[in-house]
Amino acid sequence: MSDRTLPRLLQTPAVVLLLIWMLVPLSMTLYFSFIRYVLNNLRRPEWTTPSLSNWRGFGNYEFVLKSKDFLFAIQNSLFIVCSILILTVILGVLIAVLVNRTFPGRGIVRVLLISPFFVMPAVNGVLWINMLLDPVLGLQGLAVNGLNDLAASLRDAPLIGWFFSLWPEFEPISFRATQTSAYAVIMMVTWQWTPFAVLIFMTSLQSEDQQQKEAAVLDGASTWAQFRFLTVPHLGRPIAIVVMIQAIFHLSLYAEIEIVSRGNGNKNLPYLIGEFANNNIGAASATGIFAVILANIVAIFLLRMIGKTLME
Amino acid sequence: MAIVAQTSRFSKIAWPIAAWAVGLLFFFPIFWMVLTSFKTDADAVKPEFLFFFTPTLENYLNMTENYDYWRFAANSVICSVFATVFTLFVGIPSAYAMAFNPSRSTKDVLMWMLSTKMLPAAAVLYPMTFITKNFLGIFDTHFLIILVLSLINLPIVVWMLFTYFKEIPKDIIEAGKMDGVNTWGEIREILVPLAWGGIASTALLCFIFCWNEAYWTVRLTTTDAATLSKLIEGNRAPEGLFFGRLSAVSTAAVGPIIVLGWFCQKQLVQGLTFGAVK
Repeated sequence: MSDRTLPRLLQTPAVVLLLIWMLVPLSMTLYFSFIRYVLNNLRRPEWTTPSLSNWRGFGNYEFVLKSKDFLFAIQNSLFIVCSILILTVILGVLIAVLVNRTFPGRGIVRVLLISPFFVMPAVNGVLWINMLLDPVLGLQGLAVNGLNDLAASLRDAPLIGWFFSLWPEFEPISFRATQTSAYAVIMMVTWQWTPFAVLIFMTSLQSEDQQQKEAAVLDGASTWAQFRFLTVPHLGRPIAIVVMIQAIFHLSLYAEIEIVSRGNGNKNLPYLIGEFANNNIGAASATGIFAVILANIVAIFLLRMIGKTLME
Repeated sequence: MAIVAQTSRFSKIAWPIAAWAVGLLFFFPIFWMVLTSFKTDADAVKPEFLFFFTPTLENYLNMTENYDYWRFAANSVICSVFATVFTLFVGIPSAYAMAFNPSRSTKDVLMWMLSTKMLPAAAVLYPMTFITKNFLGIFDTHFLIILVLSLINLPIVVWMLFTYFKEIPKDIIEAGKMDGVNTWGEIREILVPLAWGGIASTALLCFIFCWNEAYWTVRLTTTDAATLSKLIEGNRAPEGLFFGRLSAVSTAAVGPIIVLGWFCQKQLVQGLTFGAVK
């Protein structure tokens, strides 16, 4: 045994564990996706046990592709992920620049800002959809009602009364409908992940070249020009990293969707798989394979993009 | 924001105000949850008690009655602690091998590990249920949840440890070899004490991720090994009749983690960006 064999062998447990974790369930998914396999079927009980004699070829894939939920789930997944990415990056950059200056209580503001990131996703969903966004009992409902009451009470006031009598009655928005619940999900995840972006951008801003900035000030560059031509380019790499890490986490977004969307038609790919898996395992598996393909496309793209910078 | 010249008096006042406003805005939902947890269920939905109310501890005192909180909390603690320990136990030797004895394939192995994180969990949901229920009989056990939590966090833990270990000069490790210390001794007596800070923050972050995990802990448990994620997810209470008690149980579920998080926010950056942002 050479001097370095044992040290190198030390990585095998991790590699083997991950390999099993990845390959065994995935190959079963692949197998199930090619057979007829349902959990309950009174007329065809033979379909309720996985067996090669129920071979269906690409039938499950066809079934999934033809179901109208599938296209919607993919579009919705991408819509939710992309919206979250755009919002967190923009908000993250702005807030990082804002908090990066020294001002009284900066440490406390930082602590306040980072807190949402540690809230567990299930609590995040329950908190937002009930206590904040509920159209009747939540803060949103209370705020809209309060505003309406205020306008109503001012209607009879002298001089300015006419102004408020022309005001519309505001309607609270229900975030439990198909499309609005996607907005609710975007809102709550953006709230949770913007702090993460802020933290990373702020760390990066601290390594910004101050001399270059001073030179720019001497040359009479406006604050906007400094931001646009010095800060934004400097943030290029951290932005790429924030996008990658968030893409990894949000493509498999589940708890928030589950809490906000049960039964109202809003779904992403993981949720659709969960729905299929209540009975039709073949279809669930085929959808799973599609999800793996989608994730791989994103992964290859992202790893290419920043893989090199990670390894430096 | 950027239109304001840097030295103007206006910006000296407006800047801190804006920063504080943003900070408070982001913290507000958490503040609101904590505040609501001290209201009775009836008061929680009344506009007249929005900010001024008689605080009560009732929701916290009845947490066991209403939700059986402590059983779920105990499961969360057990699963997260053991998963973190096990992940470090597997991760430290692995990161050691990669950082100090790299081979040509090390980079590829690291990249591959990261790519397993991208595998959508939902794709293997049914096989996991099938194997654990029909085949191994470990569905809804602590063992299963600990194993799964370890496996999903292993790639990130290895990556984090790898970036910490890389910073340690190789000579120090080599010096141990001269003194005739074997590989285990090298890890235990030289590497671990040297990289203690890095290992601790990795453990903390791993613990937080385990605690917050909400896919497998919900789908692979029913009662025995159900964690806090499952408890909250199962009580989403759309009717709003129980805002008070729901807030109390939510506060109890996230409070400790938020406080832990405050302590490791600096390490979070290095850990989650794999040292690429400094």
